[in-house]
Amino acid sequence: MTGPLLSLRNLIVSAGGRRLVDGVSLDIEAGRTLAIIGESGSGKSLTALSLLGLLPEELVVDPATRLTIEGRPLAPRDEHGWRALRGRRIAMVFQDPMACLNPFMRVAAQIDETLRRAGITSPSERRRRIEDGLAEVELPDPAALARRYPHQLSGGQQQRVMIAMALAGEPDLLIADEPTSALDACVQADIVALLARLQTSRRLALLIITHDLAVAAALGHTIAVMQHGRIVEDGPAAQIIAQPRHPYTARLVGSGRLFDAVTASPIPLRHVVATAENVSIDYTARRLFGSTFRAVQDASLFLVARRTVGLLGESGSGKSTLAAALAGLRTPSTGSIRLLGHVIGPGGKPLPNALRRRCQMVFQNPYGALNPRLTIGRALAEPLALAGVPAPARAGRITRGLREVGLDAEHAARYPHQLSGGQRQRACIARALLCDPEVLICDEVISALDMTVKVQILELLKRLQGERGFAMLFVGHDLDAVRWISDEVLVMHRGRIVENCGPEDLNLAQVRDPYTRRLLSARLISPLERLWQEARVERPQSSEVAGAETTPVV
Amino acid sequence: MKTVLHRLSPFAIALARMLVQATGIVVVVFLLARLVPGDAVDVKGLEGDLTAAQQVALRHELGLDRSVPEQLVAWSWRALKGDFGDSIRFGRPVSGMLGTALPTTLLFAALSFALGLGLALALAVGAVTTGNRVLRELVNLFSVWSIALPTFCVGVIGILVFSVWLGWLPVLGSMNLPVIIIGIDSAGVIVKPLHEELREAATSAHVRTARAKGLAPWRIALRHLLPTAVPVMLALSGLVLTSLVAGTLTMEVLFGLPGVGSLLLNAIHGRDYPVIQAAILVIAVALVVINAATDLLHRLIDPRMTS
Amino acid sequence: MSLALPSEVGGAVRRGLSPRTVIAALVLAAIIALALAAPLITPFDPLDQDLLALNQPPGAEHWLGTDHMGRDVFSRLVMGARTTLVVGFGGALVAFILGAGLGLVALSFGRAAETAMFALIDLVRAMPDVLLALLLIVALGAGAQPVMIALGIAFAPFFAYVARATFHREAVKDYVTAARLFGGGRLHVLRLHIAPNLVGGLITQAAILLPRCVVTESVLSFLGLGSSPDQPTWGRMVADASHYIETSPHAILAPVLAIVALTLSLSMIGDAVRRRLDPLRAADEAAL
Repeated sequence: MTGPLLSLRNLIVSAGGRRLVDGVSLDIEAGRTLAIIGESGSGKSLTALSLLGLLPEELVVDPATRLTIEGRPLAPRDEHGWRALRGRRIAMVFQDPMACLNPFMRVAAQIDETLRRAGITSPSERRRRIEDGLAEVELPDPAALARRYPHQLSGGQQQRVMIAMALAGEPDLLIADEPTSALDACVQADIVALLARLQTSRRLALLIITHDLAVAAALGHTIAVMQHGRIVEDGPAAQIIAQPRHPYTARLVGSGRLFDAVTASPIPLRHVVATAENVSIDYTARRLFGSTFRAVQDASLFLVARRTVGLLGESGSGKSTLAAALAGLRTPSTGSIRLLGHVIGPGGKPLPNALRRRCQMVFQNPYGALNPRLTIGRALAEPLALAGVPAPARAGRITRGLREVGLDAEHAARYPHQLSGGQRQRACIARALLCDPEVLICDEVISALDMTVKVQILELLKRLQGERGFAMLFVGHDLDAVRWISDEVLVMHRGRIVENCGPEDLNLAQVRDPYTRRLLSARLISPLERLWQEARVERPQSSEVAGAETTPVV
Repeated sequence: MKTVLHRLSPFAIALARMLVQATGIVVVVFLLARLVPGDAVDVKGLEGDLTAAQQVALRHELGLDRSVPEQLVAWSWRALKGDFGDSIRFGRPVSGMLGTALPTTLLFAALSFALGLGLALALAVGAVTTGNRVLRELVNLFSVWSIALPTFCVGVIGILVFSVWLGWLPVLGSMNLPVIIIGIDSAGVIVKPLHEELREAATSAHVRTARAKGLAPWRIALRHLLPTAVPVMLALSGLVLTSLVAGTLTMEVLFGLPGVGSLLLNAIHGRDYPVIQAAILVIAVALVVINAATDLLHRLIDPRMTS
Repeated sequence: MSLALPSEVGGAVRRGLSPRTVIAALVLAAIIALALAAPLITPFDPLDQDLLALNQPPGAEHWLGTDHMGRDVFSRLVMGARTTLVVGFGGALVAFILGAGLGLVALSFGRAAETAMFALIDLVRAMPDVLLALLLIVALGAGAQPVMIALGIAFAPFFAYVARATFHREAVKDYVTAARLFGGGRLHVLRLHIAPNLVGGLITQAAILLPRCVVTESVLSFLGLGSSPDQPTWGRMVADASHYIETSPHAILAPVLAIVALTLSLSMIGDAVRRRLDPLRAADEAAL
């Protein structure tokens, strides 16, 4: 085929005079993968939607925008023209598969719609294709699965159904908008591998929209980096990662590289501040005969001053429940928790307030952790007031607290929504530190933040721990971040601690627990490297892509 | 109680909630009616044709000399069998009076209900799928109309315009005008939330997916938008029923329709307590039953709620 | 990204008062002013019957004419405004105090109290408001106060629901958890974190319910169950005049238009208040 499959020139999308996408041009070649990477608000999803004519009505597309598909121009708002292409030539997979599937229709009926649309009139032929399509995306027992409703499938299965549905119309171009970001780590890797295989076997043109450099590096032949509505850098994947030119790209790549150096500080055990001994925690179901759900099973750990324990696990593994119990927010059903000398056991006495203040938490979503109706100053005054600090003495301590986390005194007058996500998280950390905690529990504190900000927060926490000497429990699902910040890593799976090792030992050569091994091998690069090596012959640019082996995004 | 049944079928939940509410309503209606100073015998006594001995005898016959809980049980038991006692004013069995009045009210309410839901659905779906400005404004107009215009005011204006000035309709006895008035009022109660819900559904991820599949607009509306609208409408129909009660009462009085509303109002003015109790009870329990039925329907329609 | 879209698209949010709201506020102010000044400006006693001037059309002497009993329609309208306003607003106030009070007390006493209280409130809600008000009036007798109490009981659940919803929405927030970690008790959390959110919700609810209270009051007095016969109310005026609609349409049009003007302006103001205070919307605006 000569010329690009799809060519976009000077896409400008604005809302209320503000340019959300500002002059994006790109080409998508048949049978090749383009990955667009950028942080939230960079305009990457709008760019993807514009390639299917699906931009929300209230957005304005500049008339200077030119779009050609196989050399034929198509206006951004030509609904009739777009409808002829959707599903048959261009298909799309979105971020949240649960929300994207119609809850009222069985899987088969939803795929059937695409097949009808593709002009397949014979019902038996459609039925055969539905099962073949589900088998192609590696779903077990396609016939039974086709009869289910979306809510009866797991997140990974739902996304596979979405992909099968998108491919049912045999499109030339598949657009995948953050196809893995709503999924757990192990599932993410599987979906990425599946997309790579499908791209090769079907010779698809694939456009991947992602915020995750690892996903972009794993799938893209070429990568385009977007920031503030513009493409700031694009080129072959290996080149972007090995030699980033634009400062933003360099920062993005550098954030990943930081995690390369894993160093555990060999400080001897000195001062144990908190322990959990054989702790199990049940959620009692609110129905009378309902079985209780055991969220944490027989977990033991101890926290030492100046050291960080990393608690790694996916959503639902019980890690946050265990963290809440350590903070004294939840009593264990069996076993005991000792916090600064006070024992919290089943039916035990609640923590005295003075002691409770010595153990603080920082939460995942800094917006939810700050009352939107209070200024940062008033939010920071709350723990001081409750600790009995007289009003005149508070302002000085608040200012010092803000400076300590890299904010200014003037931030005290602002409301949470006037700060960026990173600044809000800094304010939350400052607020927790105003209690002079001996234990700091960080529950997924970086997962709501953009990549470059994540690194800053991690470095801040490490610095503060060095200065103040608190013990830290760092709960997270990001293997690299947990490994980087921790002196000891615990892996949790289905309520149990399945692995306990130093960060430097957390690799496939050392770890024996099967779940941890799965988690380690799920890290995107390794399986995909293998895959590319297998596919090297078929893929024209594979030698270039294989150069991405040196990618620091491990 | 509710939590135990949650594990059983949705039918049991709906049924249990219905029974609890109905029982509660029976108790409330009975006790509130007891609050009234003086009983039925006093009322008759005021008319001056009963001696003191006759009053005592009548009290005993009516069970009014027993304790309140006993009276409640006895009254409920008889009510369950359809025996609401006799009207004080007319001496006829209350159940018979209700029986004559019910068909008019049921017909009137059913017609208004159907018209209201139909209007609201047509308007909301039309406004969302076409994006037509006029339809969107109509949604707002209907909504403001039902909030701000009491139905009896609209009814009076309607009589003035269509019956007195234009002479198209008789003033009393015709059901056309009241059904239209209450239909519009009912539509106005739900059309705005329905429209908002539909508009949200239209921008939802699964409708966007349907568009990405290249489906025709009518198919998206029918298979992907409407299924989300039906549960919402069922949930909102409770609101319609509530406003329907007020509407039916006023329309029956204003247009002289011989339904339960007229019966109830006449009974209140004539202090005919057995009739008042029975009429309120029948209306309230009917609403509870209909609400339970829509709740059940909702659970049956939505696959997410059955498994 | 798709989540961030609404805030990107949000565009201009109207901050100032719309002309519609201003007009509504002026109409409401005029009605309140008339009601307050009623004894000073009524040309006739609203109960005086002039048997020589029955069903008079509007004219120089009787500005809005007379009704079928020869009573001055304008005087009755102005005096009726007092009853309608006092009973409608009073009913909403009773509902506010009763609903928010019972709701908050139940919430502050823990889960068991909450379950019991709201089971009772659900029961009250199972009956349509007009029917419940009607039953209460039968029990309490007619008159301004019973109607106010009846309206209050019928509409109280809405306020209790707002209190409960706000409480549960806020109680799971991370900043409430953080407050517990700082050693803050239930009262501290209620005062610092829940009360400010509650005020907006309750005022919004009051603004939405006010027109409904006024409408229900007029429906009740139209049905002859409102205040006592010697207190003119707009609903009763409509009911009285409806039998003479052919001979004196003015006697019915005057109160009908008055009711519509009042409820329309109240609902427009309610809508404006809701837009301004709605917590969800406020959150959206904050996110911009």
